[in-house]
Amino acid sequence: MTPPRLLAAVLAGKAAGTASRLVGQGGGTTLPGLVASRIEPRTLALLAERLTAGSVLITGTNGKTTTSRLIASLLQGLPARVVANRAGANLVTGHTSAVLAGAGLTGRFRADWGVFEVDEATLPSAVAELKPRAVVVGNLFRDQLDRYGELEMLALTIERGLEALPEGATAVLNADDPRTAEIGYRLGERRGRLKILWYGLDDPAVAISELPHAADARTCPRCGSRLDFRQVYVGHDGDYTCPTGDFGRPERDLSATSVQLDGLDGVRFTVGGVQVGAALGGLYNAYNLLGAFATGTALGLKPGYMVERLGEVPAAFGRQERFLHQGRRFTLMLAKNPAGFNEILREAERLGGGRHFLLGLNDRIADGRDVSWIWDVDFELLGGDCAAETLIATGVRAYDLALRLKYAGLKATVEVDLNRALDRLLEAVPAGAEGFILCTYTAMLDVRALLVRRGSLRPYWRT
Amino acid sequence: MSASGQRLTIGWLYSDLMNIYGDRGNIQTLVQRARWRGVEVRVLELGKGASEGIEAVDVFFFGGGQDKEQELVYDDLLETKAIRLANAMQRGAAFLAVCGGYQLLGHYYQTAQGERLPGIGLLDVRTVAGGQRCIGDVVIESDPGLGLQPRTLVGFENHSGRTYLGEGVRPLGRVRRGNGNNGEDGSEGAVSGNIFGTYLHGSLLPKNPHLTDLILSRALNRELDPLDDSLELAAHNWIKDRELSGSRRA
Repeated sequence: MTPPRLLAAVLAGKAAGTASRLVGQGGGTTLPGLVASRIEPRTLALLAERLTAGSVLITGTNGKTTTSRLIASLLQGLPARVVANRAGANLVTGHTSAVLAGAGLTGRFRADWGVFEVDEATLPSAVAELKPRAVVVGNLFRDQLDRYGELEMLALTIERGLEALPEGATAVLNADDPRTAEIGYRLGERRGRLKILWYGLDDPAVAISELPHAADARTCPRCGSRLDFRQVYVGHDGDYTCPTGDFGRPERDLSATSVQLDGLDGVRFTVGGVQVGAALGGLYNAYNLLGAFATGTALGLKPGYMVERLGEVPAAFGRQERFLHQGRRFTLMLAKNPAGFNEILREAERLGGGRHFLLGLNDRIADGRDVSWIWDVDFELLGGDCAAETLIATGVRAYDLALRLKYAGLKATVEVDLNRALDRLLEAVPAGAEGFILCTYTAMLDVRALLVRRGSLRPYWRT
Repeated sequence: MSASGQRLTIGWLYSDLMNIYGDRGNIQTLVQRARWRGVEVRVLELGKGASEGIEAVDVFFFGGGQDKEQELVYDDLLETKAIRLANAMQRGAAFLAVCGGYQLLGHYYQTAQGERLPGIGLLDVRTVAGGQRCIGDVVIESDPGLGLQPRTLVGFENHSGRTYLGEGVRPLGRVRRGNGNNGEDGSEGAVSGNIFGTYLHGSLLPKNPHLTDLILSRALNRELDPLDDSLELAAHNWIKDRELSGSRRA
C-alpha cells in the first residue's frame, strides 16, 4: 500500500518527466525528482526502501558515469531490474528521478537494484537516504574548487558518508589514489565492522615515469612529506609511499596486471585469475573497469559472468563516444579537469593519430566557474608527437583556451559559436582521418545536442 | 646584478605545494613573454628547504595553496626563506604573490579562533579569517600610479580571508566587479615598490599582459618592446565586458 502523499509525489514526478521529454529538455533527468520531492521530501528514501536487492553508489572525481554504467550493466544481466541515474544527474534530484522510473503509475514499485553515481559533496545525504550495500570511491582529483572548497574537505565529507554505511556494507576503494587510501585507513581504524575492498593497478609497463603537472595529491596526507611514486598511472594515482614510512599504498584485494591498451578501442587486464576487457579506451578506463569488477565481487557476482558481461558494454554517453560523418570518424570526449584532460591528451599522443581537435570550454556552474585549471593541462603534448594540424577553440571561454594554447606554442582558431565551430572541424578533417572533440560538461551537452539535431547521435536519455 | 636585460631568473616559491589555481600559468606567461623578447630565462623552483640561488632571482612568484599545503610551507617560509626574500627586495627584485602567497607576505593571518600567525611582513597588510568564501570573476580598475593601459585587470577570486591594507601600500586597484581584498572597502590587492600582492588568479598574468610586462620591466630594470597582444586583450575584454554588463549565464 503506497501512502497517499508518496503516490501523489510519484504521479506528479512522472508527469513532469513525460512533459520534459516531450518538450525536449534533456530527457527529464532531474525535473521529476524536483517535482516529487516538493510534494514528499522523503520520496527517494521511501522508494529506495522498496528496492528488492538494494543500492550501489559510485563517487569520485573522474569516471563516475562510466563506472556506474558498467555496474548497472553487470546487475541487469543477472537478470535484474535496475534503476540508475545514467545521464550524469548526480545530485539528489537526479537520484529521485531515477527511482521514479521504477515506480508504476499506481505507486507500485518494480526494481531490484538502484545504481547511483553520486556527486562527491553529497555522499553523506545519499548514504542516509539510500542505505547502499556498496559504495565505490575512485579517485579524488582537483575539480571545480569554486564549488566544493578544497580537496581535504571533500575527503572528509566522503569519509563521513562512508562512516554512516549500514552494517555489512562494503566500501570499494581505489588503493592507488592517496586521498582515497587515507579515507580507507581512517575508516578501518575506527570502524571494524565496515568491509573494505581495495583495488589497484600493478603493471609498470603502462606507467609514466613522473607525476604530471596536474597531480594534486603529491603530499602524504598524514605528515605532509612529499610522497615517493614508484609508478604513476593516471594523475596522482599510482604506487606511492611516504619517505617517513608512515603511509603507503594499501595492499590490494584485487590487483590488475598485464594491462593492454588498444588505443581508444579497448582495454584489457588480468585480475583474480581472469582476463577482463571492455570497449573503452585509455588507461583511466582500466580504473573504471576494475572498480566495476571489484564492486561486482563485493556483491558476490561470479568472475566468469562479469568477464562476459563487461565485454559487451558500449562507452558511456559523451564521456567517449564516436560518430561517423561523411566517412570520417569523430570521437567526442568529456574533459573537465586537468587530470582527465591530460589522460585524454596522452591517449591522443599515444595513438599518434590525433591531428584535428575541437576544444570546448564553458564556465557555467556545472563546468566550474573558475577556468584557471586549463593552465595545468599539458596542452604542450599537442605540439609534440601529436603535431596537431587543426585546433579550434570554442565555448564561452574560447579566448582563454586559445590563449592557453598560444603560451603552449600552438595556434588555435577561435570560434565562440559551437555550431560554427563544429562545422569548421567537420570541414577540416580529411577523408580517412579522425577528429577529436574535447569539451567541458555543458559544452559537451551542447555539442551533443547539435549532433543529435544533425542526426549523428541519439538523444542521451535513450542511450 | 643579473638583470642586465639578457637573462632572467624566476624564483617559484613552493611550486609543488602552492599551485592550486593554475598558478603555473603565471610562470608560463612570465617565461614566454621574456623569451619572446630574446631574454634567456631560468626558472628556479624553491621548494621546502631550498634557498640556494635566491640571491640571483630577479622575480619571485608565490601562488595559492589549499589550507593543508599552506600549513606545510609556513614554517619553512619563516625559517629558510624570509630573511633572504627581504634581502632580495632590498636589491630591487620583483615579487608577485597570489591568494595564499599574498596573505603570507603580510604581517599576520588571524584565524577564526583569534590566533595570529605571523607572515613575513614584506607587505603592510593583515588578513583575518572570514566566513563565507569570496568566489567569482573579478574586474578591477588598476591604481593610476601604475600607469597600466588598459586600466582594467581581470581575474578570478576564491578566498575566505579578508585582507586589510596599511599605510605602507597602495591597492593594486579598485573593484568594479567582485569582492577584492575584503568585500568592504573596494580595494583589491596591494603594491609596494616592486612587490605585488593580489587575490586574482585565473591565471592572472595571461589575460593581463600589461601587468605582466610591468612586472617583467621592473625585474629586468628596462623598458620592453611591445608584443602582439591581440589575443591576450581579446580574452581580457571578453570577460571584462561580460562581467561589467552583468550578462553572465548560469
